[in-house]
Amino acid sequence: MSSGRQVQHSLAFRVMRLCRPSFHSETPLRFDPCDLIAGEDLFDDAVAASNLPRLLSNHTLTSPKSTDSSDLTYRSRFLLHDPSDAIGLPGLLILPQAFGAIYLGETFCSYISINNSSNFEVREVVIKAEIQTERQRILLLDTSKSPVESIRAGGRYDFIVEHDVKELGAHTLVCTALYNDGDGERKYLPQFFKFIVANPLSVRTKVRVVKEMTFLEACIENHTKSNLYMDQVDFEPAPHWSATILKADGHHSEDSALDRDIFKPPVLIKSGGGIQNYLYQLKSSSQGSAPVKVEGSNILGKLQITWRTNLGEPGRLQTQQILGNPIARKEIDLQVVEVPSVIMLEKPFLVHLNLNNQTDRTLGPLRYGCPKVMLLRTRL
Amino acid sequence: MDAVEQSEDQQTSAITGGIGALSLSSTDDPLTSQFGTLNDLCYELSSLQDLASRGSWRSILDKVARARKLSLLSKPHEHLTYLSYNVLALTKLRRFAEAAAELDSLDDGLDSSSYLYESYPHHYPNGSGSMVPFVLRWLHAELPSKLGKRQETLDRFYGLLDLVRTKLNDKLSKGASVSAGLWRKRQVFVINSIISHHLSHKEFSVCLDLMKDLISLRGDTEDQNPVLLSKLGYIQMQYGDLEGAKATFDKIEGLVKEKADDVEMKNLVSRNKALVYLVAKDYVSAVREYEECMERDASDVVAINNKALCLMYLRELSGSISVLESALERVPTVALNETLVVNLCSMYELAYVNHSDIKRTLSNWIARVAPDDFDTSCTRI
Repeated sequence: MSSGRQVQHSLAFRVMRLCRPSFHSETPLRFDPCDLIAGEDLFDDAVAASNLPRLLSNHTLTSPKSTDSSDLTYRSRFLLHDPSDAIGLPGLLILPQAFGAIYLGETFCSYISINNSSNFEVREVVIKAEIQTERQRILLLDTSKSPVESIRAGGRYDFIVEHDVKELGAHTLVCTALYNDGDGERKYLPQFFKFIVANPLSVRTKVRVVKEMTFLEACIENHTKSNLYMDQVDFEPAPHWSATILKADGHHSEDSALDRDIFKPPVLIKSGGGIQNYLYQLKSSSQGSAPVKVEGSNILGKLQITWRTNLGEPGRLQTQQILGNPIARKEIDLQVVEVPSVIMLEKPFLVHLNLNNQTDRTLGPLRYGCPKVMLLRTRL
Repeated sequence: MDAVEQSEDQQTSAITGGIGALSLSSTDDPLTSQFGTLNDLCYELSSLQDLASRGSWRSILDKVARARKLSLLSKPHEHLTYLSYNVLALTKLRRFAEAAAELDSLDDGLDSSSYLYESYPHHYPNGSGSMVPFVLRWLHAELPSKLGKRQETLDRFYGLLDLVRTKLNDKLSKGASVSAGLWRKRQVFVINSIISHHLSHKEFSVCLDLMKDLISLRGDTEDQNPVLLSKLGYIQMQYGDLEGAKATFDKIEGLVKEKADDVEMKNLVSRNKALVYLVAKDYVSAVREYEECMERDASDVVAINNKALCLMYLRELSGSISVLESALERVPTVALNETLVVNLCSMYELAYVNHSDIKRTLSNWIARVAPDDFDTSCTRI
């Protein structure tokens, strides 16, 4: 945070990154009273067992229903109400506690509050918020057309800004306020909040051609500090290509009697170097029909990736164009159509050949022959 | 603990000490039963339990120290019960090294024959089995993680799960149905604790597998616990599977339809709905759901806390602060929890340039009202 050098400012910017909240989770120290008041095997005894209901009816042993607001104890910090309370996930949300890391493809969201901590009203406040990167300045908010008329002493003006992060490296959130202070003096307050945008993923691809079928292997590696839930990983093929994703056989645990819907195993890539592999089979739709072959490289398509972190915080990236192997251009295609299965030495035989000119220009002249050297080498 | 070293005199005085029928008669007359009230179970147990309910853990330490100093405890199991409250109090007060040391002072660990009823036939003529309160085993497993040895805790909990399952099978085969019921609950308790540890380390796949085990323990789909299933939904939301979470919440809504009059269940369904709105960034609808919850139950602190957060995302910082402040004023014993205070302090830091004053006011109020185990570091002063 910077402040004016000798200028005393009435206003100050307070900034809080507003990514999605998280669920609070921690192992609670809450118990079933039976585990505390008696030995673990005491109720093996039939007499003890028969007294258990009466023992438990003691008021200090039951966690109060929350609707009983007259209860003034802290029993709910000590006794379990529902057994699942021991998981320690009450559903309480907690605000982001630190700025955290920010990655390409995410949305930067921030709560910005401009506070008047002086004893005087300030007037005609022109507020601007911009993101400055190496390449550009992006305006997020500008109240010049309708300045905030006044912010009273001790008052605030709040706003929330959002920006889709599309560049790597150093970013600065620049907040400025131009205002008339209590003395009528027009003052200018700039404040700068810096952050760095890093690369969340790397994608390595391999293209293999096996018997005229093209396969694309993609390996996604997670460089972030969180586990990434892969919401969508789609390969978008280039024109004249179609793609099908190939998946391994399901794990045995998926065939349980329980609802498949709620137990679909998630694709979660572990933080700090975890990987996930994807395999696609690609078909060129121009195979068979009159081909329009592109010289040189072969564009297959690109991967669209959407991931999510806490409470569904999304991030989106797409890869650059993925290239296949350059097509070997064949000008002439020679095919043997028919050759006799038995050939007698020193007797002529008929061979049927098919010759295709695959270019769009006339080629020639055609010369053919059998080198004598080769005939002599033929063995039967 | 020196239960075995009790002198002959002390044992005799315990037997004739006049605390109910003691162990000399095996009558099941409720008036003279040794299990009728908390104080029959153990010397001044009712008072210990009362102090624990108020969060007066320092008073518990004093009471245990006094009982030991003045030799007020006569029976072996009473020493163990007092030790349990002591270790628990130390743990609650975050004095983890002392708690672990106290546990380590037990001869030969928790499975020693010193802690079996049958080792003291004059105290417990028909007694058999372990007199160790189960909480001691749980604390023995949990404490290493508080001292930085997380793997040790996981190993102990998985070992404890094994022990619990063995005990459960044993009770079932003996036909001790009440005891079996308790061991069945302990199985669930230990699995839940294991899940909480994996959750805190974001090991979500393991959590899902364990949740699946818990849910299938329950068997029939109609008999499922909506509260447990909701936790599954929260886990799914936490790692980002919004569709999975929605499917889980829909399932819960179907289950709860029959229990239409139960305010707790109604609020559970509403809060789950609010979360679905929240992740879709429809904060207005989320606030509406939370307000319905608060109308049905003014001390639904989860609804209160989460509503305040929604107001923040709606740019209403003042509104969010007042929701939390008013809850602390109205229903302090429910609202005073560390998460709510952390959120309120984050809001103060944003709203006030000089936020230390207002945080100090809050901190002073907390000092007057809070239980001993309240973690004051949450105010970040």
